[in-house]
This record gives sequence, structure tokens and C-alpha cells, in this order.
Amino acid sequence: MNPLLLVMLVPAAATLALFFIDADAKRAIRSVATVATGLVLVIAIFMFIGFDSADATWTANADGDSAHDYKYGFETEWVPQMGLNFRLGVDGMGLAMVLLTALIIFAGVMVSYNIEKRVKEYYILLLALVTGVFGVFVSLDLFFYYFFYELAVIPMFLLIGVWGSTTKTVDQNYATMKLVLLLTAGAVMALVGLISIWSEVGSFNMVLIEQHEFSKSFQMTWFPVIFLGFAALVPMWPLHSWSPAGHASAPAAVSMLHAGVLMKLGAFGILRVACSYFPQAAAEYLPYLVVLCCMNIVYGGLVAISQRDMKLIIGYSSSSHMGYVLLGIGSMTLIGMEGAVFLMFAHGIMTALTFALIGWFYDQTHTRMLDDLGGMMKVMPFAGTLFIIASMASAGLPGFANFASELMVIIGAWESNLWLLIPAILAIWGLVITGVYLLRAVKDAWFGELPERWKDLRDQRTFAERFPYVMLTGVLLLFGFWPQPMITMVEQGVKPLVTRIDEGREQNKKAVQIDVPSKDAPANDAPAQGEER
Amino acid sequence: MFTLAFDLPEGLTPNLHLLLPEFIVAGTALGAILPELLLPAGRRAAATAWTSLVGLVCAFVVILVMGPSRELAIQVMEGDTLVSGLRMDAFSVFCRALIAGGGALLVLLSMPFTRRMDRGHGEFYAILLFSLLGVMFVSEVSDLLSLFVCLELVTIMAYVLAAFRRNDLKSTEAGLKYLVIGAVSTAVLLLGIGLIYGFTGSMSLEVLGAKVWETAANPEASLPGIFLLGMALLLSGLFFKIGGVPFHVWIPDVYQGAPSPVTAFLVTASKAAGVILLIRIAQAVFVRPETIAATVDNPLAQQWVVLFGAVAVVTLLFGVLSAIPQLNIKRMIAYSSIGHAGYLLMGVAAIASGGGGQGSGAQLGGEALLYYLMAYFVTSVVAFAVIITVSAASKNVPGGPHGAKAYEGLWSRSPFLAVALCLALLSLAGVPPMSGFFAKFLILRATIDSGLYALAFIGAGAVVVSLYFYLLWIKSLYFSAPPEGAPTGDDFRISVSTRALLWGGMIAMVLMGIWMPPFFTWAHDAAASLVAIAAP
Repeated sequence: MNPLLLVMLVPAAATLALFFIDADAKRAIRSVATVATGLVLVIAIFMFIGFDSADATWTANADGDSAHDYKYGFETEWVPQMGLNFRLGVDGMGLAMVLLTALIIFAGVMVSYNIEKRVKEYYILLLALVTGVFGVFVSLDLFFYYFFYELAVIPMFLLIGVWGSTTKTVDQNYATMKLVLLLTAGAVMALVGLISIWSEVGSFNMVLIEQHEFSKSFQMTWFPVIFLGFAALVPMWPLHSWSPAGHASAPAAVSMLHAGVLMKLGAFGILRVACSYFPQAAAEYLPYLVVLCCMNIVYGGLVAISQRDMKLIIGYSSSSHMGYVLLGIGSMTLIGMEGAVFLMFAHGIMTALTFALIGWFYDQTHTRMLDDLGGMMKVMPFAGTLFIIASMASAGLPGFANFASELMVIIGAWESNLWLLIPAILAIWGLVITGVYLLRAVKDAWFGELPERWKDLRDQRTFAERFPYVMLTGVLLLFGFWPQPMITMVEQGVKPLVTRIDEGREQNKKAVQIDVPSKDAPANDAPAQGEER
Repeated sequence: MFTLAFDLPEGLTPNLHLLLPEFIVAGTALGAILPELLLPAGRRAAATAWTSLVGLVCAFVVILVMGPSRELAIQVMEGDTLVSGLRMDAFSVFCRALIAGGGALLVLLSMPFTRRMDRGHGEFYAILLFSLLGVMFVSEVSDLLSLFVCLELVTIMAYVLAAFRRNDLKSTEAGLKYLVIGAVSTAVLLLGIGLIYGFTGSMSLEVLGAKVWETAANPEASLPGIFLLGMALLLSGLFFKIGGVPFHVWIPDVYQGAPSPVTAFLVTASKAAGVILLIRIAQAVFVRPETIAATVDNPLAQQWVVLFGAVAVVTLLFGVLSAIPQLNIKRMIAYSSIGHAGYLLMGVAAIASGGGGQGSGAQLGGEALLYYLMAYFVTSVVAFAVIITVSAASKNVPGGPHGAKAYEGLWSRSPFLAVALCLALLSLAGVPPMSGFFAKFLILRATIDSGLYALAFIGAGAVVVSLYFYLLWIKSLYFSAPPEGAPTGDDFRISVSTRALLWGGMIAMVLMGIWMPPFFTWAHDAAASLVAIAAP
């Protein structure tokens, strides 16, 4: 059976199976969820190992330099009248994200063992959510791409609203409503763009669309629409405000998925749809994006410094780090874009680890405020050590995947020579800002005086408790010391994209040389009411 | 062998056998009164309900078995021109099947309600069935006169239904308001038909369309203002039916005051009648006949797309924004149904954007509207099944049986009802994998493909607003603590019919959102029969 289909069907089947398990059989429920996500992880790892040797199912732009292979393809006809097929396939970029999701959801299911409230519904929603997320990364059909994206948003609403936490910093009802509405607003905006692509090409087939040459004016009109739609999910400054609040009020596993995976959906959409289909427009617009992502890096970091709630610190830190991803995309160089995708992976694992650790002690302390905490290293050395490791990874210490990827992004930004190198320099200083707030968090929460009331806090003791944390840390170290397999795989997906953007830039230059007089040629896609087909 | 005792007028072909489903429904309506006369009081409710259910299911099956026909029932020809007749094309087959099948769901929905009545069971179902019969006829019309008669059959029955609980002030108020405003709109509609007749000299929709296209082909001719006024009045009458702003004022009070099963009927079948007629008229006027060259533009299209689009935008925004502060679920559904009317009008605007043939705005808009009606029908029925069950048990909850309090913490009180209502609300909001998502997707696709980008952006934006107020209700279902003294567990009497309806409805909603090919194919083929005007 097709591995990608399995990756989607296993969590979907587990969701259905959970409906028929008695709500009191908590062990059985947890086992089903663990086995299902564990199976998905195994499949994802096998796909990762076998990726190089797998045959391409579809190749877009087969003739040119920008040949783009999609592997592990699967296709079945869905609605023939509108050219809608259920079509799965991944390139290196997609598989990196599938692997990331599989790792995080497996860890997420395991760290959720301590949830006692309505266990059945919790796992049903969590698995439904992850089915949607996998769907986005493996779909090669614009309709299903959107379908699975929205499918992932609604379980989020209930997960945060029911199992989340209200603290004095964030109200969970407010946060979950804001998150769902902003995510949906971004998504429907992108949807209008996606449908207009269909209207132009006559198909939702993403391989076919990739080979379609859109006119420059069409690209210039629709690139901002689709880009902004996805950028709200990244989240790009100034559309980011849903994200820290959402992180802060979500239960641990949902924070992990949210920061680890959902934020990546936006960047993935920008690469897969906006940049890939509209290379000419990307070449024109992306330099301006770089300005905004500097705001992400610096502003996000500065806000994180002023927070005292640990989840909010990590929340703002996430939007700061997504700035690096956008910077890598905006650099439009091969190394920068590879770094961006690699960073999506590394940052996902790193934040998931951090949120899992915060969730671990929050369950016992019911506070995340730095002022209430302190000296926890004495009672939970295991969790503390891992937290420091994750913080170091986040601050870009060599030896972690984050370092490798952030370095690539910064080199890419430097190479691109945009805006007098200011973004590249700001990005380097951004790492210093990261160091400031993370080291302070480490100092205030884990070292210093241990308040009397935290004397009885529990550390992770058993194998099952420790395993998810060790696994995530191991992945960070593995790809930190040996990034080559990941970079090779990502390059397979990113290189055609960069080639296309380079070609687009060349075309733009030619067009300027030739048509200087007829610059105001009427845009053929301007809204014309009553237009004939 | 039975023969008619008189000669038929020239040009009239009765083809009455094509109307077998309608005869079944009419016969059932009359038959539903019989148990009222024959049976003891205790058994009347069930007997009438089951009679109606069986009749509608039979009609549904017969419609599907008979399929579309190129012949018209009661066809009246004048030379080569069709004067009047009931069309049996794939479009009308789809609509009739929808109404008969959906009507069966409405009967199932009404069972708990009628069981609590002490008299008038027969009347209720007879009136409901006659009204459904009216909607079935509406989908077949090919001339303005039968359009008017069929629409009135629906509307007059609906007045009675709205005021059915005559001892209840709210219900009588609803009936009266509906009657007064409805009467005005009927007068407007009739005046419009009169003015149009003055221009075309025929009641036939086909002649109407031909006249419009004639002026397009002839550069010297133009359409007189009085005709345009007539069209505007005709459409106003239909906007009233579907609740398009500014003809929506009756909706909140009537929907809130009418008995819940009747509100469900108004939301679904009665609104469908208006939409079906809008599609028929838009098709007659805007779809290019084969005789007209593709270079000729419809003289009305430019302005009327703007008209439909403007009404759609105002309706949409008014509906979704007004639904936000509502604290009564029926009133919320009422305002949200105004919002849905806006989406439906977006589809009509796509049809009006002109052209004909496969892939035209008419095809895409038509199939989107039909899918929307189908999805909306099932979703509304599920929502109302929950509303009826909850309100029956929540008489003593502060804020009334339909108030927001009655729904707070429903998840911990009755998970089944909460899940059903949650899925229905998500479907209304247009979230995958529910049916409402694919319906809204089709509407957006039709508008974008017709080049109506502004309309599409506003429609997409309204999705977010409507998601907000639906989520407010879902929030109170799931996040709020149950109020003191609210019914729990077995206090909700979920009858077998309601349970079957809820399960079936939930499965149908999800199926129509995930495995849409069969449903879409029906809608697609039905809309395809509209694209080129079928020869009579």
C-alpha cells in the first residue's frame, strides 16, 4: 500500500476506532493513539531512508533544469467534472515536514498521558487534527490542500477551549477564538487565490499547475493574495498576534503541534504555491518580504524579552524564529531556501521539546510565571537539563540542527545582498536577543532559590515518561552533527524552486528591457464582469 | 379504456402520467386527513405522520425512477412557441427529488412536535404536504402565470403553518406578520408579471428570454424602462421569498415565532422555492440560446450582475453581522439564513454573468446553487432536530427553551445532541469535512470563474464572520458549565424518529463533504440541463 496514503489513513482510522472504545478504558485509548502515531512515525522514517532511491511518480518541468520530482505518488479520481483528483505525493520538502509532524505527534501523544479529563474526545480531536496536517503536506491537489488545512483548524478550537488553560496572561476562550478566526481568515483569502488559479489552468492538479506559465500580470495580481493568506499562518508580522496567545493557552501536546507544525503550514504554502507557481512575481515581491521578516526577528524577540509567562516567551520566540524562515525564503538563494526548510524542521522539534517540558511542570505547578518559579533544577534535573539543551539549540549553539539551519539562512541572506546586508546583520543579532530571553528564563525558572511549595515536584522517572523528550533531543543532535541527509533531501525539493525563481528574475529583466513603453498594458485578469469564457 | 369526453384544445398535450409523483403527494395530503376522522384520538398523530412519510418516500422513489423527460406535462403550444407547460428536465427532477426526500425528513422532524398536539394532526401534515407540492411544481414552471400560482400554493400554506399554534401569541404574531408582508410582496410580484406581459405579450419565460436576446442582436432596439421595472418587481417578490435584503424584515420574527418544524420548513423548502425560481428566470433571461452568436452580449447582464451582486453583498453582510449578538437560537438561525441567502444570490449573480454551454457561469452557478440547497437542507434539518429536542426538555431554563442558557454545557449533559448540533453548525459555517464547505466552495468557484472577484472576496470574508457566531454557540455547547436545573441525560427524550434523523443527517452531512462525487454529479447534470434551453 502506498506509504503516504497510510500516513493519512492510519490516524484517520485510529480516530474512527476511538469512537467505539469505551470512554473509561483510558489505557486502551492511549494505546490506540500511541500505536497509530508510532506506526506513522515508522512509515515516515522508512520513507526518509528510502527517499533517494524511490522512483519519481510525477515530474514537473521534466525538460528543463527545474525538473521537480514527486515521489511516493498516489492518485485516484475524485470529481472528474471539475478536474479534481485525490492525489498524494511528496518532494524532499514535503517529506521533511511529514517526518517532523510524525515525530511531534508521537511525542505529543506520549506527553499527553497525564491528561485525565475526557481522554477519549481529546485523542479523537488530536488525531483528527494530525490527519489534517499530514493531508496538507502530502496533497498534490489544491482543493485537498485547502480541505485538509481547514480540517486541522477546527479540532484546534475545541482542544484549546476545553483542555487549555486560562492564566492571568491569556484567556483561553479569547485565544482559541482569535486563533481560529485569524487562521481561517488567512486561509479563505488564500482560497480565493487558489480558485483563481483553477480558473486559469482548469485543474487543481498541482503538478500540472507547476508547469503552467502564468502571465506576469496574473502573477503580480494573485501572488500577494495567496502570499498574505499563508503569511497569516506563518505568522508574519503584523499578522502574528494569534500565535503567542494560542501557544500560551493550549495544552502541551497542542502547543507542540501548533508551534511545531501548524506554523510551518504557512511557510510550506508560501514555498509550494506562491513562490513555485508565481516565480516572476516572487522575484519582484520577495525583497519587500525581507523587511517584514526583520520586524519578525527583532520585534518578536524584544517582546519575548518583556514577557514573564514562559509559554508566551516561547510563543513570541517562535514568531521571531519564523522570521528566519521567511528571511531564508526571501533571500531567494539556494542555500537560504534550504536553510529555511531545514530550520522549519529544526525549529519544530526544538519548540515541541520546549513546550512539552513547560507542560510537564505546569501540570504540577499550575503557574508558568517566572516570578513564581525558581530552583526547579533541584527537584527535576532531567527536565531542567533538557530545557537548557533546548534553549541552547534555540539560541543557535553549534551541534544542534538549529545552528546548521540558521547558519544557512544567514549565509543565504548575506549572499543575496539585499538591503545593504542589514537583514543578515539583524538576523545575527537576533540570535543574541534569543540568548537574552532564554538564558533569563533558564536562570529564573531552573536556578536560584527553590520556593517551599515546589519541594514535591516530580521529575520524569519512567522510560515512557522520558522517551518522548529524549527522542526529540536526539533528533536535534543527530541533524546538528550530521545534517547532510536532511539537506540533500530538502535540496531535491527546493532546487527546482530556486531555479524557477532565477528564471523568473531573468524574464523580469528582459521584460523591462523590451516593454518599457508599453508598461501600462491592460491586465488581462482585471475583474471584468459578465466576461465570456 | 378511459377516454376524455371532450376534445382537447389545439396545441394542448396533457402528458399527465409525467405528474405521477405530484399526484402521489396530493393524494397523500388528502389521505393524511383521513386518520383524523377515522381513528381514536391517541393514534391519530402517528397514523397521519406515517401516511405522509410513506407518501413522500414513494414520490421520491417514483421521481428518481421516472427520471427526466423531454416531454412537458400539460404542454400548451401556439404554433412553434411554448406558451405554458411543466418542464420535466433533469433540473426539475433534481429539485423535486430534493423536495420530496427533504420533505420526508421534515415529516420525521415534525413527529415529536405533532405528538404533543391534542388535535389538528391531519391538518398540519396536509398543509405541509400541499406546500411541498407547491415547491415541486415551482421547479417545473415555464411561464409566469404558473410561476405565480405555484408560488402562492407554497406561500399561503406557509402562512397557515406559521400561525399553527394559534393559542401561542408568538406563533400568531409570526403568522400575521408573514401574511401582511407576504401579501404585499405577492402584489409586487403580480404587478411585475403584468408589466412584463405588457412588453412580451406572452406569459412564457421562453418568449421573455427570446425578446431580451432579440434586442441584443438588433443594435437599434432597446428594452423599455417599463419592462425593466417589471423585472425588478418580479425579482423583488422572489427576494422576499429567500430573504434578500431589503426584503428580509419578516424573517427574524417569523422564524422565531413559528413552531420549530415550520421554521425548518421555511428555512429549507420555502427558501428553495425562491432560489429555484431565481435560477429558472436567470436561466431564461441570461443563458444564450443556440441561435445567438457568441459575440453578442446580453443587454441586461452588465447591470443585473451588479444588481444581484449588490443585493448579495448587502444580504450577506447584514445576515452574518446581525447574527452575532443573537441570544435565541432560532433568531440566530434566522439571521444566519439571511446570510445564506446572500451566498445563494452570489450563485445567481454567476448565472447572470451570461454565456451558455458547459463551463459557463450558468453551469457553475447552477450546480453550486443546487449543491448548496441540498447541503443546506440536510444541515438545517439536523440543527432543527436538536433544537426541537432541547427546547422540549428545557421549558424551565431561564431565558426560555430556545435561549442561549438552554445550550450551555450541553456537551456534558447530552454528548450526542451536542455533537449533532456542533456538526450542523460547522456545516452551516462551511468548514470541512462538512457538506456546507463544499457548497460554499462551489459558490466561490462559480463567482471567481465568472470574474466577480470583489464578490468572491466579500463572500470569503463573510465565512470568517459567520464562523465567529457559530463558534460562539459551539463555545457555549462545549466550554460553558451547565446551568443549574438544566435537563441532563434522560431528561432529553430523543424519540426513535429523531434519533434516526440525527444519525442519518450527520452521516449525510459528512458524506456530502468528503465523498461528494455522486451528489455533485446529480447537481452537475441537473444544472447542465439548464445551460442550453431545451427545445420544447
